[in-house]
Amino acid sequence: MAGLEQRLEGIWGGEPGIRGWFSTVDHKKIGLRYLVTAFLFLLVGGIEALILRTQLARADANLLSPEAYNQIFTMHGMTMIFWYASPILSGFGNYLVPLMIGSRDMAYPRLNAFSYWVFVLSGLFLYSSLAIGQAPHAGWFAYVPYTTSRYSPGLNMDFYALALLFLTISTTAGAINFIATILRMRAPGMAISRMPLVMYSTLTTSLSVVFSLPALSAACVFLELDRRWGTRFFDVHHGGQPILWQHLFWFFGHPWVYIVFLPATGMISMLLPVFSRRPIVGYPYVAVATVLTAVVGFGVWVHHMFAVGMTQLSMSFFSAASMTISLFSAVQVFAWIATLWKGRPVRTASLLFALGFIAALVIGGLNGIVTAVIPVDWQLHATYFIVAHLHYVLVGANVFPVFAALYYWYPKFTGRMLDERLGKASFWVMFVGFNVTFFPMHVTGLLGMPRRIYTYPAGSGWESWNVASSAGAVILSAGILMSVWNFLASRRAGALAGANPWNADTLEWAIPSPPPSYAFEHLPTVRTRHPLWDEWDELDDPSGERILDRGGRRLTLVTSILDARPKAVATMPGDTLTPLWAALALTVLFVALLLRIPWVALAALLLTALASAAWLWPEKEVAKIA
Amino acid sequence: MSSLARPLDDRDESASRRPLPAPIDERRGTAAMTLFIATEAALFLMLFFTYFYLAPGDWRWLTEEPPKLPLALTMLAVLVTSSVVLHWAEKKERAGEPRRARAGIGATVVLGLVFVAIQIFEYRDHLKTLKPWTDAYGSIFYTLTGIHGLHVVTGLAMLVYVLCLPVLRPADRAPFSPLHNAGLYWHFVDAVWVLIVALVYVLPNLR
Repeated sequence: MAGLEQRLEGIWGGEPGIRGWFSTVDHKKIGLRYLVTAFLFLLVGGIEALILRTQLARADANLLSPEAYNQIFTMHGMTMIFWYASPILSGFGNYLVPLMIGSRDMAYPRLNAFSYWVFVLSGLFLYSSLAIGQAPHAGWFAYVPYTTSRYSPGLNMDFYALALLFLTISTTAGAINFIATILRMRAPGMAISRMPLVMYSTLTTSLSVVFSLPALSAACVFLELDRRWGTRFFDVHHGGQPILWQHLFWFFGHPWVYIVFLPATGMISMLLPVFSRRPIVGYPYVAVATVLTAVVGFGVWVHHMFAVGMTQLSMSFFSAASMTISLFSAVQVFAWIATLWKGRPVRTASLLFALGFIAALVIGGLNGIVTAVIPVDWQLHATYFIVAHLHYVLVGANVFPVFAALYYWYPKFTGRMLDERLGKASFWVMFVGFNVTFFPMHVTGLLGMPRRIYTYPAGSGWESWNVASSAGAVILSAGILMSVWNFLASRRAGALAGANPWNADTLEWAIPSPPPSYAFEHLPTVRTRHPLWDEWDELDDPSGERILDRGGRRLTLVTSILDARPKAVATMPGDTLTPLWAALALTVLFVALLLRIPWVALAALLLTALASAAWLWPEKEVAKIA
Repeated sequence: MSSLARPLDDRDESASRRPLPAPIDERRGTAAMTLFIATEAALFLMLFFTYFYLAPGDWRWLTEEPPKLPLALTMLAVLVTSSVVLHWAEKKERAGEPRRARAGIGATVVLGLVFVAIQIFEYRDHLKTLKPWTDAYGSIFYTLTGIHGLHVVTGLAMLVYVLCLPVLRPADRAPFSPLHNAGLYWHFVDAVWVLIVALVYVLPNLR
């Protein structure tokens, strides 16, 4: 079958060299780029956190000026929430979704490349603000009126609004791609009731993106218009409403919390059963809980605004809805615990990270319930207690699952095993560092230390707790660096992984590690939830019907949404530079908007349209395949 | 430039003769357009939310000086007509009459341009009494209608792209049904204008 492999490689393998590097639309390459880039943003955001903790380690410190402190804590928040937490999950999704559902690529490979380029370029756009010393400086949620031109002249908040609008394009395109891929490209037989659980979370969060992100776009457009054109959206003296910003921001912002959380839980639901050596307990309950978390997640945004002053009735509603969410999280947590309990857990580094995640999530969930209680929230609002809560949830429920997933899928990505001993050591250092950093913040919050202050007076009683937090941050960083070293060194030194080192159940483990460009020689068919654990031979295809190599075209299968019956053959696009051109033209557009050069902006818009037209233009020399 | 452009690999007979297990997919582009329209609809939902949120409790500014109806209704008529014409063009295209289809698309583009022209004219009239920075009402009025105008221009760009295509339905390029997809977007933009006329123009005049 060497001839077959070569032929498929000839169809799916991209061009060699620099041009091929820029023009590839292979989801595996794009997925890895997403992972590496987002991880770099994690490191940059981590360095910013270390600078902040150095400043806060002692009272009356003057390492940073108040303005510098404001810029760095804002950049830390924006980097971690927007340029790390969500894109790293897109990276896993890009790499794994098509392989897990037995497809050869995402539904829109060129759009996928475009999403990545826009993600990188918007990040560079944001960081250029730091280079000129005018980074955003009003926190990641940028409340008006602090952010209006009157109180924040300079480019700082223009960078904020424009960079987020820019990134929104990438996130929305990515979400559309995931939805179409999961709904249309699954292997024959992979009915919706047999999808790997991470598909439920990816699909759900992608739908959340489609419906919640426009609120952020609208808010950023209003902010820019108020700042630049003197409109009155947030101007109280002319009928504007500052609270409008908060409503729009949190209508987006709370679903976003689940967007960076649910795919992580989905990944845990994949790897935890594998290391427990049994199927997950309560598959349908976990699936439904995932969907309901996102649905109810659209009805809780006001819990970020309890201190604004609203009617009792609406606050009670949002308080109750917020507590309801914990039921759905509890369903997932109990399903994982039951899986571990009923199974025979294998203590790998990956499983340790998963367990650390569950512990952190339970603490973060419990102190979340505390803050959902309105009288308590009024006491704790804008104190370090909230900082403790959000870091337990975000670091606990995003960073730990991401590391668990990296330790689990790294062999698939690279073909090499990671060093398990170093991995376990890294986990323990990270877990200790994480708790030493963030647990004391509960106490500093209860003692009344406000968030976002650049320093505090001696004798306030907060010093020792802050020293602990700062020391913890150093330990946490050391733990992360141990894993970074592991990732780098194992690329050469790791043991060969083989196709399925963990004896896992899903389709990505049916093919070699790292997978060839065409992924599957014969597109698989599926009969159960655990393809590689059942008796069915997914790749059995004696007549070669599912090779799909006709006419030298890139082909894969389309199936029906619910029961995944084969419906059609999809012709997939070839490699091209047009998505990169479109993304570059958009960059020019946003720079022109920032610097207020309308003619350049108009020209860039035209260029974007032309690049998109070239991207979609039908190609002439098309082989006849039907 | 693309692997699609590579010469046919016919050396291996077994490869090229193997039948395809199913017809070629024709709905991929439509799926993307549908989801794109969904997110755009959410954007307009946010804009309408803002419109009503900024209205004070007693809805005073809805009655103060309601926007004039005639031009808005004319624009509505223009846009609805354009949708009907485009629908006709799609039907002709399916019936295998690409020339009539192209004529229909061209007429839709002209009607779209007429819409934009009337909107500019209407803005000039409005701007005499109401500026975007007059108050919050002015801000949301111009932002809402302006963003809709940008969507009309985007729809026009799509239709012009379709007109430029050498063939409206390339036989072997099935995932692209460009006319159908651009049509979906155009009908969506049309529907949003119906909502704007109803909520921003007609409703205040009823009071």
